[in-house]
Amino acid sequence: MSMTPIALAASTSAPASGDTLTRGASGFPSPADDYREAPLDLHHHLVRRPASTFFMRLEGDDHRHAGLYHGDLLVIDRAISPRPGHWLVVVIDGELSVLRLERREARLYLAPSRPGLARMPFEADDDRLWGVICYAIHALPATGEEPASPSCSR
Amino acid sequence: MFALIDCNNFYAACERLFEPRLEGVPVGVLSNNDGCVIARSEEFKALEIPMGIPTHKIEPALRRRVVLKSSNYTLYGDLSARAQQVLARQVPTLEPYSIDECFLDLRGMQEDWHALGARLVRSVMREVGLPVSIGIAPTRTLAKLANRQAKAQSSRPQVCVWTHADAPELRTYLKRLSPREVWGVGERLNARLAGIGVLTAAALRETPNSELRRHFSVVLARTAAELNGYPCLSMSDLETPRRSILCSRSFGRPLRDRAALAGALRHHCQRAGEKLRRDAMQASAIGVYLRTNPHHDTPYHHACEWTALPFPSADTQQLNRAAQRLLARLWQPLAYQKLGVMLSDLAPRQQSQTTLFDGAEPARQEALMHVWDTIRARYGRQALTLGPQPADASWQMNSAYRSACYTTRWDELPHVRAR
Repeated sequence: MSMTPIALAASTSAPASGDTLTRGASGFPSPADDYREAPLDLHHHLVRRPASTFFMRLEGDDHRHAGLYHGDLLVIDRAISPRPGHWLVVVIDGELSVLRLERREARLYLAPSRPGLARMPFEADDDRLWGVICYAIHALPATGEEPASPSCSR
Repeated sequence: MFALIDCNNFYAACERLFEPRLEGVPVGVLSNNDGCVIARSEEFKALEIPMGIPTHKIEPALRRRVVLKSSNYTLYGDLSARAQQVLARQVPTLEPYSIDECFLDLRGMQEDWHALGARLVRSVMREVGLPVSIGIAPTRTLAKLANRQAKAQSSRPQVCVWTHADAPELRTYLKRLSPREVWGVGERLNARLAGIGVLTAAALRETPNSELRRHFSVVLARTAAELNGYPCLSMSDLETPRRSILCSRSFGRPLRDRAALAGALRHHCQRAGEKLRRDAMQASAIGVYLRTNPHHDTPYHHACEWTALPFPSADTQQLNRAAQRLLARLWQPLAYQKLGVMLSDLAPRQQSQTTLFDGAEPARQEALMHVWDTIRARYGRQALTLGPQPADASWQMNSAYRSACYTTRWDELPHVRAR
């Protein structure tokens, strides 16, 4: 007895383009196609201006009270102008540092969280400014865990 | 109008962006393998350590005062692309010229040129953190000179504008400038120009065009016209089209083992294939060369051999098969210092078609390479390799002082301190 192999899908690379309509067996376009949208892309949400956006890793827990933790991933956009209340990356003693910008009696200050550090006056075009932090991404304990295997009863 | 914008001491500036403690410190950047100094910060230049000096020849006393960095092209390339994005958003046409300079074609813009120049310089500083200077003039040749003039300014932003070719400050500048300094005039042309009494750039642009054509070349006549404010050189006049590809590297330490050499060769073939496909080219011939260290006492051996590919190809596997056969013929039990792959007779990639003769590159090979490039682009060069490629291969570059790939690798992000 001879066996005839059955061809699998003709193309090895199925087009995944958004323009291609999914056709049912009858050849009619699926009614869902009219409502198809691109999936949500977190990178595009977090990074508005790729040329001026940089990622850094926060070291130290001094800003814990403000919800900024050791190991957080910071998204920094250099194109943003700093305003009071912003968290900034600034260069202090040759080191990239995170501080909050504050206004007191019409003057701007860099306000440290670490006890024993004094606040520092900040100029409008201060050349210590590196960039403005837009997001701090904080991992919770489940990060990196494998999904439960299907056989496992819950 | 045209502009030339370039980054001041680009490599050192990239290093300083993520390591601010290097601000004001003499920084030198080393070549592949940390062999010699290829870029210097202003402070490094002030110590009179020359460009190109072998790393081990820097005096110990000076060595302690400077910071040396291995070159980190991943970082430099990313920052260069960012700067270009910032500029491209603001002008009609941008033509990259090298990793740290690009021309802007400003024709069709009606602007206060000084204000535009200042705006462009500030935007790159603010958004990417790189110090750049800009020269704006009626032609590319003059823009390049204006850029040099801008760099000489101590005030910021470094902008130099010559709105007309007969602007008085430009006339004075050209009278003091040797023709050698003009774009496209080399040492040899300069000597010949001196022979007919042309000693300054001003004299060059006053020399009748017919005379330059007769004694020199059309290109030099065009250069003179450009100095007079008539744009007539395009980028392609000064670029030689890419006819060959070379992937080679010195080993961190001498290599005898044939299997290790074969591994290095596979690595080079992968790079060469990627370059080919990126430029949509295919090669007809491949060469391999090997050499021992000419400065050592051991007998010097240099070998190079070429072979034609069975058919023009951009397929990494095809290139590697041919290269490995050449290596098998060339190899001797010696301590090799360098191995390279060369591709020649490049031609634009033909659309693959069903040809009559046997052995034409099948479409599935092309599809395979497409998948190959996609995987390596998405998951990194180590994700998929031709044969095993140990991460600590001894033929890899020495780069003992390389900074992190701050902008392209998750595990190498810069750290920033909470205060």
